[in-house]
Amino acid sequence: MRFLRRLRLPLFVSGVYALLYLPIVVLIIFSFNGSTDSHTWGGWTLRWFAELFRTPEIWVVVKHSLIVAFSAMALSLVFGVMIVCSLKERLDRFASLFYIPILVPEIILAVGFLYLFSFLKVPLGLQTLIVAHTLLGLAFSVPLLHARLAEMNAYSVEASLDLGATKWQTFLYVVLPFLRPALVSVGSLAWILSFDDFLIAFFCAGSSSQTLPLYIYSRVHVGVTPVINALSTFTLLVSCSLVILYSVLRVRLKEII
Amino acid sequence: MRRIKQAFLYRLTYFLATPAFLWEIVFLCIPFLFIMSASVYLQGRGFSLAAYKLILTGAHMRIIVRSLVLALFTAFCCLVVAYPVAYFIAFRARSWKNALVLLLTLPFWVNFLVHVYAWFFILERNGIFNKILLALGIISEPLHMMNTLFAVAIVMFQVYLPFMILPVYLFFEKFDTRLLEASLDLGASWRQTFWRVLVPLTMAGAQLGFFLVLGMSFGDYVTPQLMSGGKTLFVGTVISDYFIINRSFSLGSAFTCISAVVLIGLMAISLGLFKLVAKGAK
Repeated sequence: MRFLRRLRLPLFVSGVYALLYLPIVVLIIFSFNGSTDSHTWGGWTLRWFAELFRTPEIWVVVKHSLIVAFSAMALSLVFGVMIVCSLKERLDRFASLFYIPILVPEIILAVGFLYLFSFLKVPLGLQTLIVAHTLLGLAFSVPLLHARLAEMNAYSVEASLDLGATKWQTFLYVVLPFLRPALVSVGSLAWILSFDDFLIAFFCAGSSSQTLPLYIYSRVHVGVTPVINALSTFTLLVSCSLVILYSVLRVRLKEII
Repeated sequence: MRRIKQAFLYRLTYFLATPAFLWEIVFLCIPFLFIMSASVYLQGRGFSLAAYKLILTGAHMRIIVRSLVLALFTAFCCLVVAYPVAYFIAFRARSWKNALVLLLTLPFWVNFLVHVYAWFFILERNGIFNKILLALGIISEPLHMMNTLFAVAIVMFQVYLPFMILPVYLFFEKFDTRLLEASLDLGASWRQTFWRVLVPLTMAGAQLGFFLVLGMSFGDYVTPQLMSGGKTLFVGTVISDYFIINRSFSLGSAFTCISAVVLIGLMAISLGLFKLVAKGAK
């Protein structure tokens, strides 16, 4: 009995992880399903992957999504570093302002963007989406970079300046390397947030510039589409290998330096 | 000349803060003002509270309450499940820790929509869940689960769970385990240690996760739309219907404002409750 009690927590945790991965595993299995409907098993096949690579419109929307995600990520990182380095501890007063976009439901933000863009008569498209996603990215980049900078030892900046480095050199060789772990996590958060976003794109991407989530929604809400399964397996494969590559590289870099 | 240049450079560093502030003002504050003014301004009729009068009666309020109850339920369930998981990762997992944290973030790389849609395969009439239950002999007829509140609730719980576990875990990580040992050594029971040491000191993470999940599930559009087949209305679906399909902007804005006020009220109440729990623990 005591043995069972010791195992209670690990069992619970593995149950939670199983639940988290249940839809993903199902999706991966069904992306190899030979039959077109969802409840019969038609044997293993790579047919949907072949169809995925033969469908050019998917790759157009993937390109749109990548453009938006990388631009929004870059903008929110640059603006975040700028404000954090210029205001330093004086930012504390305004910190709550930057939390608002993640606490407010996305739909309200989306409605607000729609009003703003139609009032300014800006044509909807990828550019409006980049601007909107930057706001979401800032909600993570400003507080997290601010917290990281607060942990920094002020003497290292002074030492660098005393030893004759210019302000710009100090920023480049002392402050920025210190911020790097935060930059990586904030960057990937902002990227995913943008790449994944459906609602804001639904409201302010316009009809000419479809993004990947919009495309997926247009296919999925009419029923089961095996190509989408193949697409998700493919994206999961790519992102997994990137994550593994990054962690291996990081370990290697540490060994070298 | 040198002093002027220095003063200018000093100002310049402040200048660097402007883009971020500009973004918050132009793309966050001004749109809120737009929504609020649109809710009381009717085209051609000027100032009017007619939209609010219509929204505040019956059916609309029921939708808000439904979304609210669902969001609260989701956030609460996530919180209850996240605590032991975060505890395990932070204190018990040892060499597995990094792998477990990585596994927690990997689902984010699968598109949110696809995540929700994958539940079709599990919950539908001939889906995996029914097949397993039938095979085990627990039920004799396949259960009807798609397009029910149950489907919406379980999918929301599953999809938003990582958003709760991660912040709670981050605060557990900062927590000094020696405090637990000290409390247990000094004769406190495990229950007392949990409520009086662990909970108050990790409250910030729980709050962050709770508000995140509450906000996201309250205004969610994708999950209700895909899992209830658009039949049961929630705040997110109603707002987007007003703006995208019906194009009735003043009604939509009024509804948005009221649901925002309700959500803020709820967040204030739960903030008070969190404080009460922390205080009662002391």
